[in-house]
Amino acid sequence: MKNIFLQISLLVILFFSVLGVLNQVDWLQLFRVEKITTSTEKKLGDLFWDLYHSSKDEIKNDSVHRIMDSLLTHICSSNQIDKKSIKLHIVKSAEVNAFALPNQHLVINTALIDSCKNESELCGVIGHEMAHMQHDHVMKKLIKEIGLSLLISITTGNAGAEKINEVIKLLTSSAYDRKLEKQADITAVDYLEKSTINPANFANFLARLGQKETTSSQYLSWINTHPDSKERAKYILEHCNKMAVKAKPVLADSSFSQLKKLLQ
Amino acid sequence: MIALNKFFVEPTEHEIEKASNSYLMSLIALMAGLPFPIINLLATLIFYLGNRKGTYFVRWHCTQALLSQLSLLFVNSYGFWWTISIIFTTEKISNHYIAYMLTAFVFNVFEMIATIYTAIHTRKGKHIEWWCYGNITNAICKP
Repeated sequence: MKNIFLQISLLVILFFSVLGVLNQVDWLQLFRVEKITTSTEKKLGDLFWDLYHSSKDEIKNDSVHRIMDSLLTHICSSNQIDKKSIKLHIVKSAEVNAFALPNQHLVINTALIDSCKNESELCGVIGHEMAHMQHDHVMKKLIKEIGLSLLISITTGNAGAEKINEVIKLLTSSAYDRKLEKQADITAVDYLEKSTINPANFANFLARLGQKETTSSQYLSWINTHPDSKERAKYILEHCNKMAVKAKPVLADSSFSQLKKLLQ
Repeated sequence: MIALNKFFVEPTEHEIEKASNSYLMSLIALMAGLPFPIINLLATLIFYLGNRKGTYFVRWHCTQALLSQLSLLFVNSYGFWWTISIIFTTEKISNHYIAYMLTAFVFNVFEMIATIYTAIHTRKGKHIEWWCYGNITNAICKP
């Protein structure tokens, strides 16, 4: 019997020894996993943005971009996120919407900026979309709903225009699953707290849009596609209450109202 | 790792065939159910249950085949659910994942080679005892 236990132990040790040795190898680099993923993501992101962009009016105003960049830079630098990798686009649209495309393209509609009462609310939405990008939710969602083979065929130009439009619609108009949305919300709260921005304002924004949702919701895409906004507001508040945040303004007093004026 | 021992009774042709089939059963199931680790175990378990009242030689080999599948079940199940979590959740492919899957693959290949070798030799009437598994089988399978 003692012999059996010794042999079982040796077998277990052998398994973990092989695992330990194989763990020393950088397989991702060896199989070029990250390189392949990054290049596919880059091609997809640029392709989707070009197609989406062709049918929309992008805001190129320097003053608008300067103000938006200040907010983005503040959140990125407070959270050690490489700001250069994020491509911010502001699109003129009556739809309250913001979304992330592959390869870190962050698209924010003018109507969404307009519906924010202060910079913290806008930072909350930016933080939420950045969280989707940082957690790789965009590619995960695409692979899950579209399939890797179709995504690769899109990058090689073998997929039809209809299919590509379908994918863009999926990215711009439908939410991630509940678990990923919650993860993005909680991460956004962490980003905001590290950036000394009060996350309660983000919860207020969700609650306010959630109320509008019941009346006229034709243009409230960001809320319509993110279910249970009241519930989200609740758990955001619960999460942020645990940490006391000394909020500090990111922009100068008049900058946010100036941003809204510039977009009108 | 694999020892060729003399069995204390000379098995009949019918016993040899059944004992050899217990290994083949796990191989066929391995081909059919490669992504689903439970299938291999179920196949050998069903074969074992069907022969638990068989002769000692048949029972002994069914038990050894079952034990080999049982240990791989844990290894393969962990790998299977890890893969599922990569496909359906936020879990990403990592160096640890690839290392684990390669380790599981190496152990599966060794098990498969040992199974094929044992199935062939058992069919010839030889009694093959695996290192570790043979001793466990001797401990739990009595004449």
